[in-house]
Amino acid sequence: MPPVPAKIKLAAGNNTLVIQWSDGHESTYPYRYLRSRCPCATCEEAGPPPEQAVGGLPILGQKPLHPARAELVGRYALQIFWSDGHSAGIYAFDRLRKLCPCTECRALRETAAW
Amino acid sequence: MSSGISPQDVVKALRAVKDPDLGRDIVTLGFVKDLEVGDNRVSFTLELTTPACPVRDQLLAQARAAVAALGVSNVDVRMAAQAPQRPDGHSLIPRVKNTVAVASGKGGVGKSTVAANLAVALQRAGAKVGLMDTDVYGPSVPVLMGGSDAPRVVEGKIEPPIEYGVKIISMGYFLPKDEAVIWRGPMLHKTIHQFLGDVRWGELDYLLMDLPPGTGDIQLSLSQTIPLTGAVIVSTPQDLALTVAAKAIAMFQKLNVPILGIIENMSYYLCPQCGHREEIFGHGGAREAAQKFGFPFLGEVPLDPSIRVHSDNGKPVALDDSTAYGKAFQTVAGALAAQVSVANFQTAQDISIE
Repeated sequence: MPPVPAKIKLAAGNNTLVIQWSDGHESTYPYRYLRSRCPCATCEEAGPPPEQAVGGLPILGQKPLHPARAELVGRYALQIFWSDGHSAGIYAFDRLRKLCPCTECRALRETAAW
Repeated sequence: MSSGISPQDVVKALRAVKDPDLGRDIVTLGFVKDLEVGDNRVSFTLELTTPACPVRDQLLAQARAAVAALGVSNVDVRMAAQAPQRPDGHSLIPRVKNTVAVASGKGGVGKSTVAANLAVALQRAGAKVGLMDTDVYGPSVPVLMGGSDAPRVVEGKIEPPIEYGVKIISMGYFLPKDEAVIWRGPMLHKTIHQFLGDVRWGELDYLLMDLPPGTGDIQLSLSQTIPLTGAVIVSTPQDLALTVAAKAIAMFQKLNVPILGIIENMSYYLCPQCGHREEIFGHGGAREAAQKFGFPFLGEVPLDPSIRVHSDNGKPVALDDSTAYGKAFQTVAGALAAQVSVANFQTAQDISIE
């Protein structure tokens, strides 16, 4: 069995969502990071937002955003209802695991890509 | 002499009895209840995880022998069965303990016939069973189960018709025979949601879901709406059917739905005239596929006109376990129930969101 979430904390502090996995791993996702990787058809089409906004201060252009709530989708995914009303993205567990931004997982991904 | 036997001695003896499917002893599994130890007398309840347990008699005999070996002459074992409540039950169907999708990929392999007979076989074993016909375009369960009354709606909830002790819902009940459902995806999704949440299922040990062929809207809606306990794959033995079955397996794996096992339908034909066994679609293909994928093989069901005649008349062959076909379905149902218990121990998800 691939790892599945055991515990999901929507408001883990510092604008992050935390997932504790069944294999003991813990992933901390900044809200913006997760939202910019929304897997819904519209967002996939639009692509990720530009990393650098004009003027070099992207943070100024961003409105605060957080998950208002989340629901499990069957046995395989999480649906996040964002505070701005967007909720079309269904984040499959395996995809969430692949998105884990911790140094260890990042390094693993880079090795695999290389 | 048995006055020296303590409850601890009995528990220790019973620890030697293992459930072959779950791989643990009956004490650790919590099967032994209400243990009473008296003068040369031991009584307890053996509570199994399914009324359709295929090793029921084996466990009973072994438990008896283990206690008798202590020198107790009067061993009284009561049998009971209680499907455990999973931690990942869903609020739409709070009292349904297990949900099992019966799928195939390819059409025409006998999914609905197998689903109807498994439902009847499980019910006859003593389980509370529901059968949900999710094939909205081609509902066949009302014919197979012989029902004709349209479900009544009481206080906004649908009372499911009960045939042979099985609670049933199907699109076939809501439409005149010659009418067709001509819908796009979103309507199917709504129907699935209603079949789950707006039907008074009550308490069920098993809710079997007869799926349409394919890997489309209905399969996806079902897998997204509730956490399925697992899926059973029905296939005929030939490569063509197994190739498409592999697609259904891939879909369930992607959706993290455990595959409980593979059933081979139309496995062979026995000529009633001469007794010759003809393997029309080949034989053993599904067993090989099960081995290849690493899933349990749940059993084979022969191809026989009597199964077809019984199905068309709305009297599933599983109603009569004195026939070879009735027995075949009973065996498969027992194997399925065992795999559901295994899945409950291994793959139940307990995910908290806060």
